[in-house]
Amino acid sequence: MKNSSKLTILPWLTLIGRLILGGVLLAAGYLKAKNPSAAAGSVRVYEILPTGLANSLGYALPWIEIGVGLFLVIGIWVKRAAIAGGVLMFIFIVAIGQAWARKLAINCGCFGNGGISADGKVHPAVYLTEILRDFGLTIVAGYLYRFPHGKFGLDKASEEY
Amino acid sequence: MAEKKKNGKDTGTRNLVIGMILLVVLVGAGSALAKNRVNTHATMPSSVSSADGYGISFNPKATVKVDFYEDFQCPNCRNFEAVNSAYINRLVTSGKIHAVFHPMSFIGPESIATAAASACAADQGKFLEYHTALYENQGTAENSGTWNNQKLILLGHTVGIKSTKFDACVNNGNYVKWTSNIEADASSKNINSTPTVLINGKVIPPSAYLDQTAFSALFTAAGVK
Repeated sequence: MKNSSKLTILPWLTLIGRLILGGVLLAAGYLKAKNPSAAAGSVRVYEILPTGLANSLGYALPWIEIGVGLFLVIGIWVKRAAIAGGVLMFIFIVAIGQAWARKLAINCGCFGNGGISADGKVHPAVYLTEILRDFGLTIVAGYLYRFPHGKFGLDKASEEY
Repeated sequence: MAEKKKNGKDTGTRNLVIGMILLVVLVGAGSALAKNRVNTHATMPSSVSSADGYGISFNPKATVKVDFYEDFQCPNCRNFEAVNSAYINRLVTSGKIHAVFHPMSFIGPESIATAAASACAADQGKFLEYHTALYENQGTAENSGTWNNQKLILLGHTVGIKSTKFDACVNNGNYVKWTSNIEADASSKNINSTPTVLINGKVIPPSAYLDQTAFSALFTAAGVK
C-alpha cells in the first residue's frame, strides 16, 4: 500500500519537474529570442568564446532553449530533453562561475536586459544565487532523466526516449 | 487490433509534434542568424560607411576618431549625455574630431524607431540637435509609448526640421533596416554595453563617462585642442 502510493506520486513529480525546467527554459528563450542582439551580447560578456562564435551561439541559443522547453512541457522525448536541459544548466553554471572567478561584471544575463550586475559591479551574492538556481534546475533535469514518465506526457511508458 | 490502431494514431500525432518543435527551432535559429548580419542592401544615411561601422559620421578628415555607441532608451546614456553633450557637440561642430555615432537598438522597438528617426534627422543636417533632444525627452520606462512616429516627427519640428521629407522618412521607416547593420557591426566589435566611447579605437575608462573634467582630459591627451 505504502509502495503503490509512493509510485503514484512519481508521475506527478515528473510533471511538476517538467513544468519547472521547461517553463524556465521557455521563458528565458522567449525573452532572448525577442531581442537577438541583446542575446548575442549576453553570450559575449562571459568572454569564453571568440566574438564571432559567441554571436552565432547568442542568436541560436534562445531557440534551442525554446525547443527543449517545449519538449519538456508537452512531454515528448522527456529523457533526451532532460539531458539537453541539464547540459544547458551545467554550461550556465560553468559560465557564471568563471565570470565570477575572473571578476567579470555581467551586464546582460540570462533573463533579457537587466542582467546579474546591471550596475557594472560584481556582487558575489547575485552570482551565487544564479549558480544555486541553475544547480537546482540541474537536479530537476537529473530527476527527469531518472523518471521520465509523468502525467499528461506523450512518451509511451514502454519506450525510453 | 483496436489497441494497435490507437497506438499508431498516437505515434503519428507525436511525430507531428516532434516535427513541429524541431521546425520552430530550426526556422527561428536560422532566421535569427540570417537577420543579424550586415545587410548591404539596406537604405542607409549618406555619411555612413562600412569602415565606420555604418555609424553616422562627421568630419571624416579629422585625425582623432571618436566612436559613440549609445541607445536612445538607455538611462546611463542619458546621464552621460547630460554631462558631456555640450562639450561633444562643440567638438563636432568645430570640426575637431571625426565623430561616429552608432545609435544602438538592443533595448527594443522604441530604440529602433528613435535610431531610425535620428538618421532621418541626419539627412536634414540636424542629427546633433535631434540626438540631444531625444535624450532630454527620454521616457522613464523602456518601450512604453514614449516614442512613436508622430512624437518623433514632432520632436524633429521642435529642433527646427521643416522638410516634409523628414516626416515621410520617419513614417516610412526608411532607416529601420539600417539599425540592424549598426547592431550587427557593434556585435562583431564586441560592444557589450552602452554608453561605450572609443577614442582612436580605444575604449575610455568607466570612470570618465560621468566626469566632465576626466572626459575632456582624454581628448586633450589624444591631441584635441
